[in-house]
Amino acid sequence: MKHSTRRSVLMSVDQAGGTSTRVSRPGRRRAALAVAAAGALTLSACGLGGGGGSSAEGEGEEGDEGPVTIGISLPLTGDFSEPGKGVQRGYEAWAEYTNANGGLLGRDVELIIYDDQSNADRVASDYEKLINQDQVDIVVGPFSTRLVVPAAQVAQDYGFLFVEPAGAAEEVFTQGFDNLFYAAPAIANDHYNYLAEHILAMPEGERPTTAAYASMDDPFAQGTAYGLKEKLEEGGIETVADEVYPPNTTDFSSIANKIANTGADILVGGTQYQDAVNLIVALQQLDYQPRLAAFSTAPTNPEFPEAIGQTDGILSPTGYTPDADYPSNAEFVDFYTEQHGNPPNEDEANAWTTMQVVAAAAEANDCADPSPECQQSMIDWLRENTVDTVVGPLSWDAEGRPQAAHLIQQWQDDEIVIVLPEDASDAELSYPKQDW
Amino acid sequence: MTALITQAVILGILLGGLYALLAAGLTLYFGVMRVVMIAHSAFLILAAYLAWAFHRATGIDPLFSLIATVPLFFLLGVVMQRFLLSRLKPATLTMMSVLLTFAIALIIEGMLGFVWTGTQRRISLSYSTASLEVFGANIAVVKLVAFGLAAVSLLALYLLMKATSFGQALRATIQHKEAAALLGIDTEKVAGYGFGLGLATAAIGGTALALDSTIYPSLHWHWIGPLMAIIVVGGLGSIPGAAIAALVLGLSQSLLQIPLGTTWAQTVFYLALFITLMVRPQGFFGGRLAQRF
Repeated sequence: MKHSTRRSVLMSVDQAGGTSTRVSRPGRRRAALAVAAAGALTLSACGLGGGGGSSAEGEGEEGDEGPVTIGISLPLTGDFSEPGKGVQRGYEAWAEYTNANGGLLGRDVELIIYDDQSNADRVASDYEKLINQDQVDIVVGPFSTRLVVPAAQVAQDYGFLFVEPAGAAEEVFTQGFDNLFYAAPAIANDHYNYLAEHILAMPEGERPTTAAYASMDDPFAQGTAYGLKEKLEEGGIETVADEVYPPNTTDFSSIANKIANTGADILVGGTQYQDAVNLIVALQQLDYQPRLAAFSTAPTNPEFPEAIGQTDGILSPTGYTPDADYPSNAEFVDFYTEQHGNPPNEDEANAWTTMQVVAAAAEANDCADPSPECQQSMIDWLRENTVDTVVGPLSWDAEGRPQAAHLIQQWQDDEIVIVLPEDASDAELSYPKQDW
Repeated sequence: MTALITQAVILGILLGGLYALLAAGLTLYFGVMRVVMIAHSAFLILAAYLAWAFHRATGIDPLFSLIATVPLFFLLGVVMQRFLLSRLKPATLTMMSVLLTFAIALIIEGMLGFVWTGTQRRISLSYSTASLEVFGANIAVVKLVAFGLAAVSLLALYLLMKATSFGQALRATIQHKEAAALLGIDTEKVAGYGFGLGLATAAIGGTALALDSTIYPSLHWHWIGPLMAIIVVGGLGSIPGAAIAALVLGLSQSLLQIPLGTTWAQTVFYLALFITLMVRPQGFFGGRLAQRF
């Protein structure tokens, strides 16, 4: 990976001192993406600067030599492996796109990705390692609230900016983090806001009266389900079942039994992926047919329709649609589709958004290095400004909560379409849902 | 309410049947060799993956993968016993077997992750969601198939133990190895076959599991705890004991989920384990063997 002809500069010293050696940008690397296995190589890439060669473009003149290294820990195995890999695809796609389009601050971008095995202890030590050993310039977040909180704590301890793609539960924003920004339109409890409004606006006779909730014992999953539960209860819809299960549950027959026995009109699942599939199949086996069923995360997974067969009518909140006409979205969708053969979904989009937010902060402050000054200036800038992203313009409150809402989508005729809010919808919400 | 309980009882029996088959293998290893086989559930998941991969590659019903996996696992068991477990010193066999089989479990988990990634997999069958209605309760066809597999295998195992000369030799080896050897039984060979038999039950159990559950490489850790608890409650080394304990605990878990919820219902296995160790450490059905041990 390393060109042996380059002059060596001890980069860490430069960074600590806040000075920079004027070295022109090295020729673009062919393999700009580093995965976890390349961590050791990347370490040497951090320590060595480039020398000779062509002169830099744009702001690269002032920048630190060598690539901008971005450190990430992701759940590539374990409970969150499915969405974790989606986030990885999004990050990697952004890095490739950026490197093919002039880089960040004129420098190439290099990712260092570790696998935290969905383990909250692992994720903290991964970020320690990224910051201390790999000396990355920037860190961005992992997937899921359970992993974002310990990761953000490490970033906070080192004064790093922490933009994250998937820590949406209220817990994330009540820990006193002043470095954290959630790069998506809305926090977990607000995901179903449009749906709650829609249900409560239904005419008396048509409106469902009972609801059953099943949620993984996970702050994000519970946040989505309980956000809706709170609003529906306020609107007079009775809660007839409220089941919480541990993340490792694979046998859902008993939970399904309890829910089916209530015959609830509405079924809400605070789910990730495999739990939703197992729960739905178990409910199908018991021949329970709700009039309205909504699940977080799972329905957007490409493998979902095959796994459960009949999807029509299933609802899901989403922070993203490939069809949205936000300025950078078309480029993202085209680039990603060309690379992977299918359009991105929410996980990929959130990862891309995260990088857009970081890039905007870095470019506005003309810095991307681990020094406290640079990190703090990026944090301060994001507090004050709105960033245009593929999920729309984002701005944040003092705790890092984004200030927008989620779209509601529904499976109709084997396709997933936006149904709420009405002014952004492709189709009308179909109610009651078809049997599954 | 009655419908809820009837359904829970049926689900509990179906679940207990699967537990019974899986625990039978585990208790067999201990009976034959005094080996604590931590990797049993890892082989289970391996078999589940093989069933899934077979279904994905050929489109044929995953049950047919048993034709290959059962003999394969039997052979693997014999080889494992011959070349690994029989090399352990008898004095520290039980302890060291924990370490050895723990390592094997990690290797299997790692290989599964390496070959098929950590992604959750699920076999999608045309009859995945089909169910029969009996007394107002729904019985899922896949669960019934899994239960049927377990029942047939347990019955076959029982007949093998009771009605064949190999079974007699195996039981003799379980009861008193030295005495069995004095009577001319090749106890090493019998132990190897016994181990193979245990692993063959994992092949069947894993395939049954794959029919109705998502699988991922680290899933085996969620199975080994309850299974260990079952064989202790049933009495180490006793197959009927394991089967009865499995049914009772499976049923209790299913019923306790109604008032307690999923998280707390899981603890029934460990509570049963503690109570057994306090009041009847030799187990409720096994008796003699565990006492001597």
